[in-house]
Amino acid sequence: MILKIAWKNVWRSRGRSLVVMGAIVVGIWALLFGTGFMNGFMVGYMADIINHDVSNMQIHNPEFKNDYDIKFYIPDGNKKVEEVRNWPGVKGATTRIIVNGMIASSRNASGVQIRGIDVQHEAIVTQLDSLIFEGAYFEGIKKNPIIIGKKLAEDLKVKIRTKIVLTFNDGNGYITSAAFRVAGIVKSSSIKINGQYVFVRQEDLNKVLSNGNNVHEIAIVTDSRIDEELLVNKYNAIYPGDLAESWRVIAPELAFMQEMYGQMLYILLVIIMTALVFGIVNTMLMAVLERMRELGMLMAIGMSKLRVFVMVLVETIYLSIIGAPVGLFAGWLTIRYYQNVGVDLTEYSEGLAAFGYSSILYPYLDADAYIVVTIGVVITAFVGAIYPAWKAVKLNPVEALHKI
Amino acid sequence: MSVIKVENITKVYTETAVPVHALNGVSFEIQEGEFTAIVGPSGCGKTTLLNILGGLDHPTSGRVEISNIDITEMKDSDLINFRLNNIGFVFQAYNLIPVLTTLENVEFIMLLQKVDKKKRRKRSMDLLEQMGIAEKANQRPSELSGGQQQRVAVARALASKPNFILADEPTANLDSVSTSNLLDIMAVMNREEKETFIFSTHDQRVIDKARRVITLEDGRVKSDEIRE
Repeated sequence: MILKIAWKNVWRSRGRSLVVMGAIVVGIWALLFGTGFMNGFMVGYMADIINHDVSNMQIHNPEFKNDYDIKFYIPDGNKKVEEVRNWPGVKGATTRIIVNGMIASSRNASGVQIRGIDVQHEAIVTQLDSLIFEGAYFEGIKKNPIIIGKKLAEDLKVKIRTKIVLTFNDGNGYITSAAFRVAGIVKSSSIKINGQYVFVRQEDLNKVLSNGNNVHEIAIVTDSRIDEELLVNKYNAIYPGDLAESWRVIAPELAFMQEMYGQMLYILLVIIMTALVFGIVNTMLMAVLERMRELGMLMAIGMSKLRVFVMVLVETIYLSIIGAPVGLFAGWLTIRYYQNVGVDLTEYSEGLAAFGYSSILYPYLDADAYIVVTIGVVITAFVGAIYPAWKAVKLNPVEALHKI
Repeated sequence: MSVIKVENITKVYTETAVPVHALNGVSFEIQEGEFTAIVGPSGCGKTTLLNILGGLDHPTSGRVEISNIDITEMKDSDLINFRLNNIGFVFQAYNLIPVLTTLENVEFIMLLQKVDKKKRRKRSMDLLEQMGIAEKANQRPSELSGGQQQRVAVARALASKPNFILADEPTANLDSVSTSNLLDIMAVMNREEKETFIFSTHDQRVIDKARRVITLEDGRVKSDEIRE
């Protein structure tokens, strides 16, 4: 009957209880959608960077990353990549020749990383062809085509078919130059692809680089169900002279971002639930103070303090918990809807692009988040219940009975 | 048989700027089946005395025995359980639980006593029959008149099968018809069921029905009149 009384007590002041429940619904919805929204930013950004730039793992000569000197190539890189392509869990692997240099148009010049790519496999690994914004993917220009990013094209003030010159140190240490024509312009949320990389065919670069047929980088994209760390360990065990690294090591800022956004749910949870606790405590304190005489009577006729405590506790928990499923469902539904249609942030696309974010955002929240929020609500309910319940049992029945 | 034995109790409130001596050496005994009114002017110590008899307050000195058990030094937690099983309360403002029906209000105290559901339902209905309000069993207190609410309160007080019932100004909020009905019911319960009633009251109609009247003045027993 104590549960029944507690339940009925919740509905004594219907309006007041509904306001608190409404606050809980909105709070949980905001918490889920806010977290899903931010996760969407993070997941979208990371997916862009991993899929179009870093890949799941990369292999280099251990010395190469220190100064990007072209002499630090991967021994037998082309043979190794053939082997890796056949490994279970590997969706694609491509080789790159990497050299730092200058790009110059008739209007401007800039420092860039020149990437000599395997056109066919690069498309599999980084889907570079899908980023073409203008022109074509190494088509339409027969001799020395080059793909550059949109921002770089704007800085250099070049268009499709414009001639540009790349200058770099060749394998013999001599400064050398070669002319290329813009075949395509790519647009990506990756700042590097947009403004720092240029892509040329390996065979074209090799002609002027005097680098033999050597490659500096193998980029590998893995099946999403495979932990890339296992493949990294496997490669390093087989080829201890090379250095295989996962995206977490190559782009630690992404790993940090993933960790930070993982904490976001907890930060928001604490903020929103703390605000809700105050609302719950306020409502329940009012309920207790309004019923002082009744509570005094209950204690006078022989209801133990423990039972009074439990009654107020249960009442508060009811108040807190009723709104939770509605809020959880509303949050899930909103995220589900926007997961399909996306949140259109085109209005802010320029600002978002500056930070490497996409202008269409797909909120994302995994199942664990709903469990965490549910646990958070239960804890909030208990925390919110303790003070009013304690206040109730501290009543002196004699004094409480004489309250008007 | 003595239900209540009060020996020279005093109660001094020291929280005020000047200590207030609410009770000053009060002694009496109440036997089983008595119908006693405690009367006196406002501030004479009636409510304080009732609180002490009901185990809701402790005397500053003296001794209170209920059914030969000294409750003077009993701990608050033990007193709650003692009240539950030994004392029935009827309050001036009825103090029913508004969210429960009449029947549930009567049942509630037996629930605290862990009485079996069937038994407590039967006893509650029997008591409501005796109080003449069985047809109101499924109504909420707010749907009852003041007199009916007070009858529910009496039924609730009787439900726990207490040694005695303490009623603090039970008719203060009732009209004359309701007062008369309530007093008749309580008189019948006293006469036929040998229930012991102790009232604090100003109401002359209650005083007239009582078979013993203890008059307090300035915290002392001024007179103790037993009527036949």
